[in-house]
Amino acid sequence: MPIIDVHAHVGRWQFHLTAGDADTNIAQMDRYGIDLQIVSASEAVVYDALAGNAALRETLESRPRLYGYAVVNPNRVDESAADLRRCLDTGRFVGAKIHTHYPGRMPGCREMAEAFDVVAEAGVPLLLHTWGREVTLLPELVEARPGLRVIMGHAGGDAWREAAHAAAACDRLYLEHCRTATDAGRVAYAREAGVPVERILFGTDATLIDPCVSLGVIRDARFTEDELERVLWRNAAELFGLKVGTALPPVV
Amino acid sequence: MSESTRPANGSAQRPTSGSTQQPVSGSAQQPTGGPTSESAQRTYEWLRPSPEEHIGWDVDVLYGPWPRHPHDTGLDEVRAHLRRSPVANALALSTRGPLFDDEAGNAETIRDLDDCPELLPVGTVDVRDALTAEDRLDELAAAGVRFLRLFTLEQAAEPGFPGYRRVVKLAIDRGMVLLHDGDPRRFGPPLTDRGADVVFLDLHAYLLADFLLMARDEPGFRATTRMLSGPDSIERAVDAVGPRHLVFGSRTPFMDISPQTMKLRYADISPDDRAAIATKNVEELLA
Repeated sequence: MPIIDVHAHVGRWQFHLTAGDADTNIAQMDRYGIDLQIVSASEAVVYDALAGNAALRETLESRPRLYGYAVVNPNRVDESAADLRRCLDTGRFVGAKIHTHYPGRMPGCREMAEAFDVVAEAGVPLLLHTWGREVTLLPELVEARPGLRVIMGHAGGDAWREAAHAAAACDRLYLEHCRTATDAGRVAYAREAGVPVERILFGTDATLIDPCVSLGVIRDARFTEDELERVLWRNAAELFGLKVGTALPPVV
Repeated sequence: MSESTRPANGSAQRPTSGSTQQPVSGSAQQPTGGPTSESAQRTYEWLRPSPEEHIGWDVDVLYGPWPRHPHDTGLDEVRAHLRRSPVANALALSTRGPLFDDEAGNAETIRDLDDCPELLPVGTVDVRDALTAEDRLDELAAAGVRFLRLFTLEQAAEPGFPGYRRVVKLAIDRGMVLLHDGDPRRFGPPLTDRGADVVFLDLHAYLLADFLLMARDEPGFRATTRMLSGPDSIERAVDAVGPRHLVFGSRTPFMDISPQTMKLRYADISPDDRAAIATKNVEELLA
C-alpha cells in the first residue's frame, strides 16, 4: 500500500534539529516508505511567503515525489492571490497553506476571511494550521465558500475535541493529526463524533517532526486494512487528484 | 556515537542532506496501479512492534480519573494496555494524589500497586500545601518510594514559589528522584548545583538546546524522549551529552505509546545506547 503525506515542509527550522533541503525529505520518505509528500516551504510559513514559494517552485522541478502547497499570507492577500496562481500554473502545486501563528491571524478575522476567498477562488484544497478553539468557526466559514475544502492541520492541536465536532459538522473539513504530543484517543474520538474515515488524512509535519511519530499514531488507531488504505493514501489521492506511484502531475 | 552507527534492525541511517538512499518496502517510483490488488505486495513494517521497541522501564504512567480527558482509565485497563505494548515495567501513580489528595493518593498508589509486579509506585506531594510536605515525604520514604512526581502545571506552581522551593529541598535532602513536569528552561535553573536527580517529563524538541546546555553540567538531569519529536532529537542528545540523560516515558494512558517506542526503534543510535534509554538508566536510578 502506498503512503501520501499531506502535511510536510521543506527547509530549515529555528530549532536544534536537522532540517534543510528537500533531500532530507526524500531520505525520510525512503526510510518509512512514503511515496508522495505535499510540502510547503518553511521560509514561506515563518518569514517571506513569496520568496519561500519561489524557492519551492525550483525545488519541485526536479523532485517528482514532492508536490507543493503555496503559502498564502493573510496579511498580504493581493500579492498572495497572484502568487498562488503563479504556483498552481506550474502544475507542481496542488494546494494552499495558511498558518495562523506566524502571520498572527485567526479564523474569524477579516484578513483570514479574505485569504479563504482567495483559496476558494483557486479551487484547491487548503491546509490550515489549526491550534485552538477557533476551529469551531470553520464549518460556517467553509460552508459560506462553495468548493472550499479545508484540511485541519494538527486536527486542532489541543482543541482536538472541538476540531472533531467541527469536521463532523461540515463535509468539506478534513482532519490531519500530526503533532508532537500524541494525545491518545483523538482519532477514535473524531470517528465517534461522526467524522467518516474518508475525511481523515495522514500527515507528518516532516521534516520538523519525524514521520515515525505520525505512523505510531496510525498504528495505535487500529484501523482495519480498508481504513488504512483510505487514511494513508486514497483519501489524499482523491482530494488532490494524485496518481500514486507514478510521480505524474496531478490530474486536477 | 559514530555517524556510521546503524540500528540493529538495519533501518536506514539518520536522514542527511544529500542522501541517495533507495526506497524501502516497495518502490515509490514504480506505478502501484490498482491499489487494492497490489496493496498486499507491500507491507507496512512499522505496523508491528520490533525488538528494538522493547522498553524495560516507562517512567511516565498514571491511572485513575482525569476530568479533562474524555474517558477515565483505571488501573486494570492501564495494565492491559501496557501488556499489549512493548513496555515491560513502569513507574506509576494514581491521579488522586496530584488532582485531589496527596496523602490519600500516595496511600492508594502504594496499596494498588502492591499486587502489580510490573508497576513501581511513584509518590507525589502537593506543592500548594508545602507545610505538610515533610510528613508526606517521610511517609513515602517509610514505604520505600524513591520517585517523587511533581505536578507544577496542574498545581500552578512557579519555580520561585516558596512552596515549590520547600518541596524540592525536602525531596533532594532525602535523595529522592524528581519526576518533573513543566518547561525545563524554567525549572532547570533552580535545580542546578544541588546534586539533584531529575527527570524532565515535558522536554519538547524545540527546547532541546537549552536542556543540553544544562545537562552538560548536571549529571543528574535527564529527560524523557516523549516529546523529542525532531528527526534527530534523540541522536543529538546522545551525541551531545550521552545516552544517560534520556529515559523512556510515554504518559500512558493519556498519550499513544507507539509513537514513543517507534522513536527508539528508528533512532540512529547504537543498540547499547538504545538499551540505556529504554531500560538501564532507570535501573541505575532504582539501584
